[in-house]
Amino acid sequence: MTMQAMIDEWYPVGLFSQLDQAGRTTTLMEEPIIVACDADGHAKVTSGNGRTLPVLVRYGHVWSSLGEPRKELFPIPEADQPGRRFVDVGCVRVRCSPLRAVENFLDIAHFPFVHTDILGAEPHTEVQNYKVEIREDVDEVWATQVKFYQPLAAKSASGGITTEYMYRVPAPTCSVLYKTCPPRPSEWDVITLFVQPLAEDLCDVWPWMALFDDVTSMTDLIHFQQTIFLQDRSILENQIPRLLPLDPGMEIPTRADLTSVAYRRWLKRHNYTYGAQLVAQ
Amino acid sequence: MRSDTTGSWTPVALSRDLPAGTVIPARIPAGPIALWRSESGCPTASANRCPHRGMSLSHGFVRGEALSCVYHGWSYAKAGNCLRIPAHPGLTPPEAIRVKTYAVEETGGVIWVAMGEPSSSPMKLEGLLALRSLTAHAGIAAIEAAAGAKAGPEGLVEPAEGTEAICLLLSAQENGETLIHVLLRGEAGPAARIAASRAAESLRRKAEDLQKKGIAQ
Repeated sequence: MTMQAMIDEWYPVGLFSQLDQAGRTTTLMEEPIIVACDADGHAKVTSGNGRTLPVLVRYGHVWSSLGEPRKELFPIPEADQPGRRFVDVGCVRVRCSPLRAVENFLDIAHFPFVHTDILGAEPHTEVQNYKVEIREDVDEVWATQVKFYQPLAAKSASGGITTEYMYRVPAPTCSVLYKTCPPRPSEWDVITLFVQPLAEDLCDVWPWMALFDDVTSMTDLIHFQQTIFLQDRSILENQIPRLLPLDPGMEIPTRADLTSVAYRRWLKRHNYTYGAQLVAQ
Repeated sequence: MRSDTTGSWTPVALSRDLPAGTVIPARIPAGPIALWRSESGCPTASANRCPHRGMSLSHGFVRGEALSCVYHGWSYAKAGNCLRIPAHPGLTPPEAIRVKTYAVEETGGVIWVAMGEPSSSPMKLEGLLALRSLTAHAGIAAIEAAAGAKAGPEGLVEPAEGTEAICLLLSAQENGETLIHVLLRGEAGPAARIAASRAAESLRRKAEDLQKKGIAQ
């Protein structure tokens, strides 16, 4: 197990809106932690042995770290944009590597097969070429000009549209997706995947959204995302091995997987290997 | 039973439990497999892992004469070669993309899978009707003790007393479990089938009790 490089990162550990003084016990990288708020409503995270852990509240979630974060949490400027609705989707526990959960989020080729008639449908299976880069200035993986035909791209979409996506990986277990916003073509809907690593092969996935949608009820928005993530879970819990293989010989990518290839390369470069398998076993 | 299983046949499932156009999980000594039957009726045993992203192929789907992975729809022929990558419909998949496949034979309503090159066909099971399969939380030794008889080289047990109408075909699984295929000898009307099924269940209970008591380790 190699958690050294990842220990100083920020991780989501709960929803700010659900904090209470009694606290909730959860786990971060195999260490039990308690997430609570004090009498003034400030978030507080304590490790099992009573150590006070770093804490911040952003994007609807409480973030913490077992180490000493040297960086601010990555920015999402849209989180401060007026007119957006912020959706705390809640959490889905998945018996898989936190890195596999992120990689699945970066993948569009599975839409017709896993999210059938929602995010994709046969025969519209082709993945057109798109651009992938590691942006050195911000040290993030970016995929742009990703286009895909979707029967029901969002709750606010009526009928099939070709959706454009951009993906960002600003932290080893977090991804931000920018997606065509059906009611406002000049803007992007923002859907994030914040993953809390409980262990190398177990995680809590906290999706969060910042949308332009004044029509759909909060319940329906949450149900839509939960449906999608539960479909993903049926895949993620049946991949072999549970850890993400970083050995190039272990899994065969194709052109549609360029984002995943860049993500794996970026993880390897930074030694972000908590949840990864380095050599074929 | 043999300890060296290379080239020998493992009874993995009953023919009746694998209709055309379906895939089920099964197990051979080499590990889990995806056992599937094409629309035309041909059974195939494929390694369970899609080489693309490691998805278990027993969760996939069968269309025509191919098995497809449920994750990205990559489809594989009976010979194991990749036929199609839906994300790139114009691309002919490279030869290197393939799943391992194993020899399969069906005799007497039982599907047999072999690792390596089997030197002979699986046993014939003449006069026996394949009735049902069940899983016991017990090892082969405990089942042999419960049946009062030893398993033959291909896993066939002919219980000693009281249960002369049934034979058991055993296959070791993960976690100390054993897959039992129940075979019925002679008359096979509804009453005989029900009696045989109950006899097999009581034999399983006996084997599981023996296993728990640690009598047959």
